[in-house]
Amino acid sequence: MIVHPSPSQASMSDPPMTIPPRPLQTYEGVASWQALRARRWYAVMGLMMLLTCGAVVFCLQFGAHALTMAQLWSALTFSEAGREDVARVILWEIRFPRILMGLFVGASLAITGAALQALVRNPLADPYVLGISSGAALGATIGLALGLGSIVGGLGLPLCAFIGGALSIVLVYGIAASQGRLPMHQLLLAGVIVNAVCSALMMFATSILNPASLYRVVLWLMGTLSAPSILSLIGIGSCLLIAILLLLRESQALNLLAVGEDAARSLGVDSDRVQRTVFLVSAVLTGAVVSVSGMIGFVGMVVPHLVRILCGADHRLLLPVSALGGGILLMVADTVARTVVAPAEIPVGVITSLIGGPFFIYLLMTRKYRFFA
Amino acid sequence: MLLTTWAVPAVPNDEMSNMTRRQQGILTGMPFMANITPRTFVDALGRKLFLAKAPSRVVSMAPNVTEMLFALGLEEKVVAVTPFCDYPPEAQSKTHLGGTNPSIEQILALKPDLVLAPQDFIQPDLLQNLDRVKVPTFVLQAAQLEDVLSQIQTVARMFDRGKAGDELAATIRQRIAAVKARTQSLARPRVLYVLNTDPLQTVGPGSFIHQLIEAAGGTNIAADTSMAYPRFALEEVLARDPELIVFPVGTEEGIPDEDQQQWRRWSSLSAVKHNRLVLVPSVLVDRPGPRIVEGLELLAKAIHPEVFTGESPKEKP
Repeated sequence: MIVHPSPSQASMSDPPMTIPPRPLQTYEGVASWQALRARRWYAVMGLMMLLTCGAVVFCLQFGAHALTMAQLWSALTFSEAGREDVARVILWEIRFPRILMGLFVGASLAITGAALQALVRNPLADPYVLGISSGAALGATIGLALGLGSIVGGLGLPLCAFIGGALSIVLVYGIAASQGRLPMHQLLLAGVIVNAVCSALMMFATSILNPASLYRVVLWLMGTLSAPSILSLIGIGSCLLIAILLLLRESQALNLLAVGEDAARSLGVDSDRVQRTVFLVSAVLTGAVVSVSGMIGFVGMVVPHLVRILCGADHRLLLPVSALGGGILLMVADTVARTVVAPAEIPVGVITSLIGGPFFIYLLMTRKYRFFA
Repeated sequence: MLLTTWAVPAVPNDEMSNMTRRQQGILTGMPFMANITPRTFVDALGRKLFLAKAPSRVVSMAPNVTEMLFALGLEEKVVAVTPFCDYPPEAQSKTHLGGTNPSIEQILALKPDLVLAPQDFIQPDLLQNLDRVKVPTFVLQAAQLEDVLSQIQTVARMFDRGKAGDELAATIRQRIAAVKARTQSLARPRVLYVLNTDPLQTVGPGSFIHQLIEAAGGTNIAADTSMAYPRFALEEVLARDPELIVFPVGTEEGIPDEDQQQWRRWSSLSAVKHNRLVLVPSVLVDRPGPRIVEGLELLAKAIHPEVFTGESPKEKP
C-alpha cells in the first residue's frame, strides 16, 4: 500500500541530489499486522491451549482437602472401586466446575477488557468501565433486599444482576448514541455516569438494608467462583464462545480502529457498525460474568496489557490469547485463594492482584511497551 | 442531667479518696475492685462511666441491648431503639434511630442520660462525637456466653436493679447448665452452620455461635479455622461430612429454603442422607442478649433430638 522508494531507485530516477532522501517511515503497526503469519498465530495459540490444559490439570490437584495420587487417579478414571468415594464428588462436582468457572470468567473478563481498550482507545478501560457491572451490582442488591434470591431455582440473584446489567446497557447505549452515531468519548462518559449513579443508589440501598442482607451484598460484591451450578456454567460458557467468535470477526477492524477512527474509515472499515457490535458484545458478556461471579478486579484490565507486551497488539492474536491468559490467571489465582489458608478461603480478587500485579510491573519495567500496534 | 452524670476518660486519675475505695475493696473481699466505686462502671473499651443516679432516659443502639433492657423491666426508661429492635414487639413503638448509622442530632434531641451500644454497632466517629458532647455512652462487648450474663448484671446495677439482674442471670445460667448437663455425656455430632451458602461462610472459634454449638453438645466442623467468620472450602465440608446442617433464618429473607435445596445436591453428606437440615431463627443465636439461652436450647434440641424429643423450649423467664 505504501511504496517507499529505496535510495538507489531515487538516485536513478531523480536528478542528482547532494543529500540522499531518507526512506519513508512505514507505519509499523500495519507492517507487523501484515507480517503476522498464520504460522505464528497457530504456534502461539497452540502454546496457549497447551498451557490452559496444563493449568486445568495443575489446579485439579490442589484443594482444601488433600487427595492422594491414588484417590485422584481412581476419581479421574471412574474406577468401580471409588464409586461412593468422596474424592470423586470433590473432584468432579466441586473442583472441576469451579476451575471451569474460573477459566470462563477469567477469559470473558480479559477478552472484554482487550476489546474495550481498543474500542475506546484508552489503556485504563476494563469491563467495569461501561457501567454494566454497577448496574448488575445494583440489581443484585435490590434482589437481595427484596428477598428475590430464592426464585427460579437458586438463580434468582444472578438473574436480578443480569437484568440490572441489561438495563444499564440500554441506558448507557441510549445516552451514548443519542445523536445517531456512537462517539467513543460519549460512550466512556455515559459509562462513568451510569457507574456513579448506580453506585450511589447501591450505597443508599445498603445504608437502609438490614445487616443480614447487607452482609450478603458485601459477600457478593467481593466476587466468588465457588460451586457454580451446571446451568450457570453452560450459560457463561456459551456467552463466551459466541462473544469470542463475534469479536474475532471484528479483530482486523479493531486493529485499524485502535489507530484512529478516521484512518479506519478511510481504509473501508464501517466503524459505526464495528463499534456498536463490540460494545454490545462486551456489555452483554460483562453483564453475564458479573451476574455469576460478582466483581473480580484486575483480570480485565491488566491481562490485555500483559498479552500486548508479550505477543504484540494485533487483535487477531491479542483477543484469543487474552482470553486464554485471563482464564489461566484466574484459575491459578483461585487455586491459591482456596488453598492458602485452607480450610478457609480468601476472596479471589486479592490473589489476582497480588500475583498479576508484580508480574505486570516487572514486564512494564523490563520490556518496551507500545499500547497501540 | 449533664451535671450529675459524665463519662470519665480511661485515664486513671480521678481525684476521689483512695483510702475509701481501698477500704471498700478490702471490705468486700475484692481488692481488684478497689479503685471503682459502686456507681462507676467500666465498659468494653476500658472507659469508666460514673453514674450518680440511675439513668432515666436510655438510648439502645442494638437489638440485644433492647431485649436486655426489656427483660430487666426497664422499658419505661428506654427512649429510643434501632429499627432492627423487633423483640419484644412493644419495643417497636419506641422512637427509632436511623438505620446502621444513627444521627447524633437525633440522639442529642432525645436528651439521653445513657447510651448503650455494642462495640460492633457503634461507629467510632459517632462514639467520639457522643463523648465530645458529653452524652454518657457505655460500650458493651460479649465475647463469651458468660459475658452476656455479666452484662445483664452490670446494666441492672446501673439502674439500681441489681437484684433483678442477678435473678435473671441466675435463671439463664441455670438453663445453660441444664443443657450442658444433658448433652455432656453424649456423642458430639458434627455440625455445619451456614451463614451464607454461596460463597460458603460459616462460623469459627471466636464467634459467638461457635460457642453455642459447642455448648449445645455439637462439634463445629470449622473449629480449626482461625477466623471468626471464615469462608469455608466446600470440599472440606464433603470430607468432614457434617451430620447436621444449621441454617439461620431471618424475619425478612426467605433464602434459606432455597439454600437447603442447594445443599441437597451433596447427597453423600450424612446430614442430607438423614434429612437433618434445620432452621434456627437467627435472632436467637446471633444476639448476645437474654434470649441467647433459647437459641442454645434450640440448637441442643436440633443436635440431640433423642434427648429433647417432645419438649418445646421453655418460655422466656
